[in-house]
Amino acid sequence: MAGRPTPGCLSDLEMESEEPTEVEMSSCFLDEETFCQCCQLLLQHSHSLCDGWSWEQVKGSEGYLRKTALGTGRTRCILDQQGNSSDQHQERTFSLSFHNDEDDEDDGAVCCIQEESSSSSVVQYEYHILYSCSYQTPVLYFRASTLEGRSLCLEEVWDSVHPNYRQRLQHRPWDTITQQEHPLLGQSFFVLHPCRTEEFMMPVLKAALEEHRQVNYIVTWLSVVGPVVGLDVPLSYCTQVPEPPHTPSSSPQPPSSSPQPPSSSPQPPSSSPQPPSSSPQPPSSSPQPPSSSPQPPSSSPQPPALGTKPG
Amino acid sequence: MADDKDVLRDVWFGRIPTCFTLYQDEITEREAEPFYLLLPRMSYLTLVTDKVKKHFLKVMKAEDIEEMWFDFEGTSLKWHYPIGLLFDLHASNTALPWSITVHFKNFPERDLLHCPSNSVIEAHFMSSIKEADALKHKSQVINDMQKKDHKQLWMGLQNDKFDQFWAMNRKLMEYPTEEGGFRYIPFRIYLTMSDRPFIQKLFRPISPDGHTHTLGDLLKEVYPVAIPNDDESKRYQVVIHGIEPLLETPLQWLSEHLSHPDNFLHISVIPVPSD
Repeated sequence: MAGRPTPGCLSDLEMESEEPTEVEMSSCFLDEETFCQCCQLLLQHSHSLCDGWSWEQVKGSEGYLRKTALGTGRTRCILDQQGNSSDQHQERTFSLSFHNDEDDEDDGAVCCIQEESSSSSVVQYEYHILYSCSYQTPVLYFRASTLEGRSLCLEEVWDSVHPNYRQRLQHRPWDTITQQEHPLLGQSFFVLHPCRTEEFMMPVLKAALEEHRQVNYIVTWLSVVGPVVGLDVPLSYCTQVPEPPHTPSSSPQPPSSSPQPPSSSPQPPSSSPQPPSSSPQPPSSSPQPPSSSPQPPSSSPQPPALGTKPG
Repeated sequence: MADDKDVLRDVWFGRIPTCFTLYQDEITEREAEPFYLLLPRMSYLTLVTDKVKKHFLKVMKAEDIEEMWFDFEGTSLKWHYPIGLLFDLHASNTALPWSITVHFKNFPERDLLHCPSNSVIEAHFMSSIKEADALKHKSQVINDMQKKDHKQLWMGLQNDKFDQFWAMNRKLMEYPTEEGGFRYIPFRIYLTMSDRPFIQKLFRPISPDGHTHTLGDLLKEVYPVAIPNDDESKRYQVVIHGIEPLLETPLQWLSEHLSHPDNFLHISVIPVPSD
């Protein structure tokens, strides 16, 4: 796999001028087994914090992390003649889009009727972390509803994104939020598009590799994407959750037997994370991500007190 | 290869005769006549049903119109699935024309995606193409195309222009000769008898020792239930574009010729009809 860096989507990274090693190239992608292991480690820490994550499994299929949380969002409400508001939401898309389908540039802009105001209110969020085998990354799915049980529309979800992150979403179309079908449940969810994941993960993982630090892929990834959609990731995750045990082979070639996906190990070759290790790694400075994304928290690894076998 | 090009045309020009009937509880000013339409298998419901909407709007008041959606025998139809897939999955063994019920109220928020404009359909379509290329070529081919090339794929689909579409799509169907095929095959297997909407996994068209994988090999690996054991009678039909391809068909060939315009092989596994 010599030569060009492994492409994700539109790559404008500084990496293009370098010759990444095989380990580096495979390290920004996540295989499914490592995904599960990272999730189990996150889960253990979540239990200790009562942070609400659980592992769900639809019968006969893959599993995913799930969490519900109350947060704030901006929701629409209808004002009646007296100016009183009620939480109802009607869609009038087709009386407006009826005449001019071909020219219609707005995505979801005609989602809500005119006599409305937008206000801050309590919103019930549900977050799922799934694995995408197509992109070999995790993907964040979420849905949001008012306390009365009404689902938020895409416009309201956009309005609920913190202003700090909104610019990022607007300027980079592949960071956008869209409505998608949940691949395991078949229901409507909102999704942060996964194809740019590699772009922000690669520098972090590369720095960790160079500095011999542990990185739990899911924790790092979640700390970047979660806050965009109202999901908080307490700092202790980054200090307390270890990476899964590293398998020696970092070659992305498929095994010689029946058709299996290649089990490339995305973990940097750190010294053994076996419990209970007696030699902690020296703390290191935080990695420098590309300037347009928020800083991932620095991780100072400690000897893993938790078992590294997935639950 | 002349035969293979014909397959591409047959797939593109497949049509399903459909009868659209307004849901009985919708409020109308006078009786609504059913509306008949030939639907392209390879397109999407919300892209080709403007005429249906206009037809029923003639007998309804504007205030009774919300987002249009469809159901078949009580199952709401996902507009983001290709029309041919919806038919094969839900109505394969029913009499033609396909009878679809039209709704303008009570949009099923949990189950259906909203589709406020054609640009949502375009975004969905392009997203599928990109995902397929991530599997086939690690996104190299789609990323090397310019924005106008992407647009050409969409316009070809939207305007039913086979040549315009395939002028671009053929690039997505190429592969290095020494590889023998794509990196992974973009496919989804849809099940009616499961909560899970579809199965999608990584699967190579050629094994490491050079053996060509078939449709049967794929099913044995990811959904063995679909293939009967020797002593059992066949319980399921494996349908692509309304036909049951032989299980010996090479998967690479299927991917190049029987994919939908979104570059995915959409495979339905449905119970064999009992009558």
